[in-house]
Amino acid sequence: MTERAAAATEGVDSVGFGDPLVEIQNVSKYFPTDEGLFSWLSVNRDADGLPVETGREWVKAVEDVSFTIRKGETLGLVGESGCGKSTLARTILRLLEPTEGSIYFKGRDLADLSGEKLRNTRKDVQMIFQDPQSSLDPRMKVGKIVEEPMQAHGLLDAEGRAARAQELLEKVGLDPQHYNRYPHAFSGGQRQRINLARALSVNPDFVVCDEPVSALDVSIQAQVLNTMRDLQEEFGLTYLFIAHDLSVIRHISDRVAVMYLGQLVELADKRELFENPSHPYTQALLDSIPVPDPRADGRRGVLEGDVPSPIQPPSGCRFRTRCPKLIAPAEYDLSDEAWDRVRAFMRHVKRRDFTETDPEAVRRRYFDGHVPGGSAGDVVSAAIDDIAADDWDDATERLQEAFAEQSVCAREEPDYEVDPEYGTDRHTAACHLHRE
Amino acid sequence: MSDPLLRVDDLQVQFFTEDGVVRAVDGISFDVHEGELVGLVGESGAGKSVAVSAIMRLVESPGKIVGGRIEFDGETLIEVETGPDGDPYRTEATIPDGELRERIRGREIAIIFQDPMESLNPVFTVGGQLREFIELNRDLSEREAREEAVSMLREVGIPEPEARYGDYPHQFSGGMRQRVLIAMALACEPSLIIADEPTTALDVTVEAQILDLVEDLQDRYGTSFVWVTHDMGVVAEICDRVNVMYLGEIVEQAPVDDLFYETKHPYTTALLESVPRPDQTVEELNPIKGVMPEAIDPPAGCRFHTRCPAAREACTTTNPDCREVGDGDQPHRAACIKHDAFEAAYNGSPPLDAAAQQGFDVSLSGGETDD
Repeated sequence: MTERAAAATEGVDSVGFGDPLVEIQNVSKYFPTDEGLFSWLSVNRDADGLPVETGREWVKAVEDVSFTIRKGETLGLVGESGCGKSTLARTILRLLEPTEGSIYFKGRDLADLSGEKLRNTRKDVQMIFQDPQSSLDPRMKVGKIVEEPMQAHGLLDAEGRAARAQELLEKVGLDPQHYNRYPHAFSGGQRQRINLARALSVNPDFVVCDEPVSALDVSIQAQVLNTMRDLQEEFGLTYLFIAHDLSVIRHISDRVAVMYLGQLVELADKRELFENPSHPYTQALLDSIPVPDPRADGRRGVLEGDVPSPIQPPSGCRFRTRCPKLIAPAEYDLSDEAWDRVRAFMRHVKRRDFTETDPEAVRRRYFDGHVPGGSAGDVVSAAIDDIAADDWDDATERLQEAFAEQSVCAREEPDYEVDPEYGTDRHTAACHLHRE
Repeated sequence: MSDPLLRVDDLQVQFFTEDGVVRAVDGISFDVHEGELVGLVGESGAGKSVAVSAIMRLVESPGKIVGGRIEFDGETLIEVETGPDGDPYRTEATIPDGELRERIRGREIAIIFQDPMESLNPVFTVGGQLREFIELNRDLSEREAREEAVSMLREVGIPEPEARYGDYPHQFSGGMRQRVLIAMALACEPSLIIADEPTTALDVTVEAQILDLVEDLQDRYGTSFVWVTHDMGVVAEICDRVNVMYLGEIVEQAPVDDLFYETKHPYTTALLESVPRPDQTVEELNPIKGVMPEAIDPPAGCRFHTRCPAAREACTTTNPDCREVGDGDQPHRAACIKHDAFEAAYNGSPPLDAAAQQGFDVSLSGGETDD
């Protein structure tokens, strides 16, 4: 019998601190762009034969994500809006069904559970939402709000529940006297504390916190973060802490995972990730945060353009369309400087960032007057001629095909391990720069 | 020093609600010089947004400007005095509504709001809205205005501006919508732009792009900015001078470097200590005790004394004005009686520590009403 099966048959809390509590294996979650009855049909008048096409478009919100969360730790999950953080969290809790992959909680596959068993497991995993306003029922008193999960799971009798609710209110830093108040009488920070008390009422092992402090003022944020940390110590909680604010993540997490466009790009120990970021996206994120120190030398705005659509994500590394370190295709013999110029030219043509169409002016603007030699130079020259003929689409396509699509970044999906500089924890970075 | 471009003097804005009068902005004064980027920073409820909307006379009912004077480039945007009957009235010097709308708003002073979706009309194309704005304010023909609109979109970094011109606001991402608003604000080359938390709703990488853009545009056009934010990081990155607001008042006013390194007001200190740092690991955050009291019933004396770690008896009775307390070449003002400039009995006064130590209890009695 495997270890996992053994744990499953025992069905007890056999997970020690530091051992995997939640294992996420190759989880993907797709959403159809349209859920109508005939949405799989679309009309294409240019097609040969029947002018009808079948097949749905899918938004690939989360794709092939694997990691483990260890008991007692706080795993920070960071990424920009729309990168799939919340979808991933909801999939882990099975509030959404994963399209592919499996999620193990205490060694049991959550996908196998249903009905009563799933309900019982839900007691062990709780969630705290971002908006403290809408996550509390305005017509319920605070005490009842905290008691409700206990009632749903049949814990304690009415008296016991009331006593526990009051105890929890005190634990999260509220006055137990406020048991009979309505949520509107509380400020945002206090409401988030009520949310904490409610989540803790059923004695969970694992709490998913989806941007729990991002709606709060900085001074209140610090209070709530400190309380969350104290509670973790007292109750031995494991947090998956989702945030877009790297400063908050740096404060609260033990390990940090960075997401971009539905995939994990980097995962490492907190210190390692912040001091030795090994994925260009993580580096860009870190460079972008405004530092509260006027004497710090600010480097920012390192990223160009917008996040691509998750309906047709770029092939290979999803970050390559914006990556400042896109690797030059091996077949061209370009110096680093020449490649930088070609890359800038290629992206600016795609975005039509300039208006000059005169070949000489374009050459001056991007290549200091001298187009690089060899076959790479031929492509660039041809593109400049396209622009002179006002054929921007041709120029874009020519450059993309010759450079962007030929790069190893477009051809292979990266997945590498980096030697950690701090600590001994595994450090993974999905970037081809680490391919040697 | 030359005359400031914008001078706000003892501005008071009050909201007349059913529950009573809310003194949202209670006598603040600051100025903005040409080419300067002045920050207005504070937590939500400090009165930052109300203060800047008063500059354009955009305070909405039940709010009213009840006192003070705002001067812009030699013109009086508003001057309110209290009459013999106790009612505030606008003086003769105040320029009339029509003139303000035609000459000042948009042309001389532009404003950028936090939520770009609310500032753009969802049923008109982005380009069309920008074109109309340029056409009206700069007396260009429709064709010229269109060309200008496309070049403005390119200027602020919208990809494929010609193609995106015909798109609707919902087809733009949040960052791009904010760029469109910046393009709109810049279109008439105003001398002052008021930016009310323009990057708060954006992701860090997009925020960084926008901050870069603003700095770049400021270099090129020499535009002055009033920048409202709650983020000390943004303040440190872009502001020249900073005003820190707490509960309707300015508590500290200083050049950005002095504010961070020669902090003179306990609230500013507390605010700086409570933010987690992106560039270093802070083990324990030092939050400000409690929550900001309601502006409808501000504490007597210094408004911060209920949460201030340095509060003393004397703070409960004196509400200090913002006075010069620095020793540098540039003015550094703070409203705290612990400084010698106030000649108050701070040093001999017993500390109020006990109340501040109670932490959350203070917040509960201060911020909430009892059943």
